Amino acid sequence: MIQELDPRMSRRKDLLDIESLTRDELLFLLDTAKPFKELFTRSVKKVPALRGKTVLNLFFEPSTRTRASFEIAAKRLSADVTNLSIAQSSVVKGESILDTIETMQSMKVDYMVVRHGSSGVPAFVAKHTPAAVINAGDGHHAHPTQALLDAFTMQEAVGDLRGRKVLIVGDVLHSRVCRSVSTAAHKLGMEVGVFAPATLIPSGRPDYMKVFTDFRAALAWQPDFVYLLRLQLERQAAHFFPSLREYHNIFGLTRERFQVCRDQGIYIMHPGPVNRGVELVDEVLTYPRCLINQQVENGIAARMAVLYWLQPATTVLPMEEDAIA
Amino acid sequence: MSSRVLFKGGRIASAEQSSLAELDVLVNAEGRIEALQSAITPADDMEVIDCQDKVLLPGLFDMHVHLREPGREDEETIESGARAAIQGGFTGIVAMPNTTPPIDSGGMVRFVHTLAREQSPIPIFTAGCITQGRAGKQLAEIADMHQQGAVMITDDGDPVADPYLFRRALEYARHFDLVVACHCEVPELSRGGAMNEGARSYQLGIPGIPACSEEISIARDLRLALDTGTRIHIQHVSTARGMELVRRFKEDGAQVTCEVTPHHLLFSEEDIRDYDTHLKMNPPLRTPQDAEALLEGLKSGLIDALATDHAPHTEFEKNLDFAHAPFGITGLETALVSLYDRLIKPGQLGWDLIVQRFADTPRRLVGQERVSIAEGAQANLVVFDPEGQTHFSREGMQSKSMNTPWLDQALSGAVVGVVLGPNRLMDRITA
Repeated sequence: MIQELDPRMSRRKDLLDIESLTRDELLFLLDTAKPFKELFTRSVKKVPALRGKTVLNLFFEPSTRTRASFEIAAKRLSADVTNLSIAQSSVVKGESILDTIETMQSMKVDYMVVRHGSSGVPAFVAKHTPAAVINAGDGHHAHPTQALLDAFTMQEAVGDLRGRKVLIVGDVLHSRVCRSVSTAAHKLGMEVGVFAPATLIPSGRPDYMKVFTDFRAALAWQPDFVYLLRLQLERQAAHFFPSLREYHNIFGLTRERFQVCRDQGIYIMHPGPVNRGVELVDEVLTYPRCLINQQVENGIAARMAVLYWLQPATTVLPMEEDAIA
Repeated sequence: MSSRVLFKGGRIASAEQSSLAELDVLVNAEGRIEALQSAITPADDMEVIDCQDKVLLPGLFDMHVHLREPGREDEETIESGARAAIQGGFTGIVAMPNTTPPIDSGGMVRFVHTLAREQSPIPIFTAGCITQGRAGKQLAEIADMHQQGAVMITDDGDPVADPYLFRRALEYARHFDLVVACHCEVPELSRGGAMNEGARSYQLGIPGIPACSEEISIARDLRLALDTGTRIHIQHVSTARGMELVRRFKEDGAQVTCEVTPHHLLFSEEDIRDYDTHLKMNPPLRTPQDAEALLEGLKSGLIDALATDHAPHTEFEKNLDFAHAPFGITGLETALVSLYDRLIKPGQLGWDLIVQRFADTPRRLVGQERVSIAEGAQANLVVFDPEGQTHFSREGMQSKSMNTPWLDQALSGAVVGVVLGPNRLMDRITA
């Protein structure tokens, strides 16, 4: 039922960002996620692909949703899962990340799912461990499994993504979700527009990002998807915008703008959790083309595809491999 | 026992000539250059050192070094810093005062100089702080530090943020004809940043430090220098626009000089790929166009001096993630060799420029006598082997810290001898 890995599609040890994936690899992962999702409708939702393997969720930043999604994905592949949450401050003070990795390595885990508040930490971990490393979000840098589940969700909605348009609204500057989603969309042949206050538009953004300064003009561009980014409320204190009220009025999906989306049949997405009344008005959540719940469900399938595809560099005796097969 | 030493067959670099002069150097027992001639005939009382194919240049002088003593002796000490300096071909350095506690009083200046005299074979000078505790609130006792031998004042590591206080500091320093070295940065604009703000910082998701943070601060300091007539020295200029500001104010008559580091010439933000913290420093590596412009400025003389901003940090600290790892890389041991490998050997920079910018000018700026390879002068020279190779290994380096992007790399060229007076501080030629 689960397709064999395409022998032409060589496996990687780590998934650190979308940037380093080829278009073929992206498409392959999206294809691989499909049969995993079909599995969820069965009474037994498990396959034995990762039986005997250990997955460690190493979270230096608090997260419940992403961690649960990875945990369920790993368990549905029959892996053993351990969750470890480490307060970031303690790492900066005493124990270095290298010390932590070495400790984890002694436990002989096969996969490490790493989330950290600082960009580059999963890459650093990957360099120092034979385990396959999946970046579950690092600083402002990348959140590749989020981009995969989003691309998967978009594909489910409209099919082939080539020539489709996504408008990303919100904190482009600080968002790892935006970096990964926009890169994936671009690689999959989509047009990418962004709309945000100029304070939150990064200067070094890629050329393909079309920047809008007016929500009306952005919607007139006829996007297929409006992707709302979660606003970190502390940005207000750093003067990126004066108040939540004003942010919502100018940059939020207000009732009027939502009406335009509805009329145009635009799909609405959000990585969650939603700040109601800031990024969007409540009505959006019951709109049939609001894909937020599908995104969550697809997250498990996409993460299963990634776990299934990656190949840890941990050594196994050939005999053991046979025993599993 | 031979009393004189003959360096035979080498080529002499000088500030005046772009070509090297094939001359032998005879150093007497007192460490003075007795003769500088072609083909000196060896005598019985001479030890002959074969310098065939070697370049002899005046000992280099680094006016921007962090020695970390007192306070962070795990990173560097005066003693280990001196060894690193000699290894790299420096026969004089200026220590920055941002130690713990900072060098902000006559007593602290005396402490550094005393330790240096006891533990360093080369002269080590220190800069004093502009403000007490480098806190930017109250002037430090600048005259007292000056009397104890501080050669410049600076709050390096930070700017003096308060423009009123900085103006008073400049006026006060002018009274003693002290040069004020400026670390230019607007902290509010840099805060939280870890690398140059631009395309690469976007890709890596690292908060950026905009070029304007440095340039605004340079402009402010230049403007105040113009008013006060004080000699100021802009440290580690990293952007083309910052350098252009210096040009304009030089033309307007401000008493301003500036320096560039080897790393700002040889690297750019584009080299930061795998979050390598050995490429994290402040000011950050800027664009390739900036690096190119800085090299042109160095050649034209707009940039007066080379300086390393040698900033040792422990491996533990540099193994933190990019955002949290401290700024700074070491430079004493790698500066000359890396400049040779990347710029001198390919013909981009001449030896005369190295002597001017890395020996003559920095000494002049801190009131030290010029060093040259000339008859009657005290021997103060470096023997450099262009055919040699330097492998920057943990075992080979003298600094207590290894935070350099050149770690584990092999580059063309090697410092094989350092002579100061009657002492051979390093000798890899006869050894």
